Amino acid sequence: MSQTSNLRAEFSAWMHANFCGEYECLRGRATPGDEDAFPGLRLKWEREMGAAGWIGVGWPKAYGGRDASLEDLVSFNEEYARHGGPGRAGHIGETLLAPTIIAYGTEAQKQKYLPGIKAGTEFWCQGYSEPNAGSDLSNIKTKARLENGRWIINGQKIWTSLAMDSDYIFVVARAEDGSVGRCGLVFLLVKLDQVGIDIRPIKQMSGTAEFNEVFFEGAMCDEADIIGGIGDGWKIAMALLGFERGASTLGQQMIFADEFRQIASLAKRNGMMQDPMIRQRIAKAYAGLKIMRFTALRTLEASQGGELSKEGYMSKIFWASWHRDLGELAMDVMGASAEILDDGEYNKLQKLFLFSRSDTIYGGTNQIQRNIIAERALGMPKEPRGGGIVIKG
Amino acid sequence: MAYPFTDEHEMIRMAARGFLQDWYDGGAGPERIYQSGKAYDSRAWAGFAGELGMAAIAIDEAYGGASLGDLGRVIVMEELGASLCSLPFLTTCGIVADLIDGIGTDEIKQDVLPKIAAGEMRAAYLDGHDAKDKRVYNTVYADCVDTIFLSRRAGDAIEVVSIPTEANGLIITPEKTMDPTRSFCAVDWSGVAPLDMTVIGKTTQIQLNEIVMRSFISLAAECVGGAQKCLDMTLEYAAQRVQFDRPIASFQAIKHRCADMFICIEAARSAVYAAALAAPDDKTEAALIAKAYAVDAYFKITGDAIQLHGGIGFTWEYPLHFFFKRARANRSMFGSAPRDYDRLATLIFEDVA
Repeated sequence: MSQTSNLRAEFSAWMHANFCGEYECLRGRATPGDEDAFPGLRLKWEREMGAAGWIGVGWPKAYGGRDASLEDLVSFNEEYARHGGPGRAGHIGETLLAPTIIAYGTEAQKQKYLPGIKAGTEFWCQGYSEPNAGSDLSNIKTKARLENGRWIINGQKIWTSLAMDSDYIFVVARAEDGSVGRCGLVFLLVKLDQVGIDIRPIKQMSGTAEFNEVFFEGAMCDEADIIGGIGDGWKIAMALLGFERGASTLGQQMIFADEFRQIASLAKRNGMMQDPMIRQRIAKAYAGLKIMRFTALRTLEASQGGELSKEGYMSKIFWASWHRDLGELAMDVMGASAEILDDGEYNKLQKLFLFSRSDTIYGGTNQIQRNIIAERALGMPKEPRGGGIVIKG
Repeated sequence: MAYPFTDEHEMIRMAARGFLQDWYDGGAGPERIYQSGKAYDSRAWAGFAGELGMAAIAIDEAYGGASLGDLGRVIVMEELGASLCSLPFLTTCGIVADLIDGIGTDEIKQDVLPKIAAGEMRAAYLDGHDAKDKRVYNTVYADCVDTIFLSRRAGDAIEVVSIPTEANGLIITPEKTMDPTRSFCAVDWSGVAPLDMTVIGKTTQIQLNEIVMRSFISLAAECVGGAQKCLDMTLEYAAQRVQFDRPIASFQAIKHRCADMFICIEAARSAVYAAALAAPDDKTEAALIAKAYAVDAYFKITGDAIQLHGGIGFTWEYPLHFFFKRARANRSMFGSAPRDYDRLATLIFEDVA
């Protein structure tokens, strides 16, 4: 990361001038575990970002982006975190779907969908997981069939983040009857506001409800609203996940560092810093933070050189486990007051403690991460399917 | 080349690895050292430090070195860790070279550093601050070197002196130790005449700590190198060992433990490389993190490796036990990991409101 550009300074100045006034209450909010905070104001903030041209800075210039380098994207995310910007309601559209449309979509799809994402006026959610397709993601049962120039969709998606604030969902569905696993799937772009779709929030153990169930009963989209062809669904779905190149990692770590400082500061004020075991855990948490940062730098440097580095595979399980441990440490530093709900609500540390139990599950559980590391980083044999074990019942 | 290394670094690594893995010889090297009863291989020192030029790696160019700093030293220490080669590199090219560079006069530097760079001097370091009877029991490599550098109190300051190991009255007694590949000695200098001690320079406790703590990074790198070797051996074994008609590498219980070993090693590696690159103001903190994390990681990995090898891992013939014993020894070298974390906690709490 040797080159410099003025994007960091330009964006920092813009954040300074614009992230204030009515937006002040969003500072540090809407991070995972808090994503249902101030929904209306957050969407307004996205429009503010879009109007100023700060959505899609990593996109090619031809589609209104700035073709920013990975280094600039890292700077952008760091500045955003440094200024305390709220969780980005539009990140699924901006950083996952848009690059997929740009790479695999038709010209008509680019014209139809990119401007709304870029302006911060249209929001997307991801329809991958199903009740029986969790870790075994390719076991998708939601069906899509082509009828009179439209796709008709029936089935159910689950754990859909931000569905309640979104305008569209991209859906991986089974288009070929009798196909199994990764074959016969399609990747469809579907408007959420229609009679065939029902969104139900899932109240989580954290008391919040940023995850949803999405039910499809004769839901429709246009025949042209497919990325790739019939049978390409899995390939597109995986390519989409590959577009997250880790630019947001360092920004995420700045949020972690803030949480850590808050806990260390509390330990200093309430005397827990005298406890030898708390001291060990505080120091280990801090070491973990530094290790995460340097591991991210190693991975980013490798990806700039076009290489996929082995240590990149440990990123998810490492931060998720670290963050879960931080939540436990926060409660122990709070001592007996960890139990007390001020104003009847969970405070920031209590939310961190509760929500971080999901960190080691969503986006690939720790167990799946270990399979991925063993197979891809260490070259160990792949998991067999089935294996002849009879399921009773 | 993988960050943070350059092609030049990689060439050095390959040269060091080639030499040291030949020496290691599938575990025959450490076994030979064990059989000999002396944890030092003078031919290996001449070849590695001298002919191959590895002793020069972190010495300043002005004194005949390669000026590759902490990062260069990390490469060498990783490879030493992967082979358990019994050479006094850590003390000679680490602590002592840094001490002389940090507090020696120009004259001393001109005299000593080129000798170290050329592999012509081997040195051990001992901290005699609290040794009222001029005896300590834990000096590594003291019986494999020609010079001992001793730090001692001189009023409010700290003074560093050198003593040739052939000096009259200097008694160096190698201990029998669980880890047979690194020498560990009692040193008694109560009978050494003042004339046999050369003053290298004076310093403060703070500066001395900073210098000694740079070698925490080297020790941590040794841990990473040894741990990686143990994981490599484990992966190779698990791929060829068949039970229940399958290579055991295909079992999730084995895969997941190997994945955890990988995470642990890569995290330690990041801590070590970050410390090697840290700016002077951040060096102490980064060195504490690297050492504390890496010694814990190394011990865990060597234990996991023995477990995953099953019965054969428990035999003397199979070399894993040498790594396990080195990892154990590193847990009490330069103080324990819990002590390091406690010091780190103090730094953290000084820093928060």
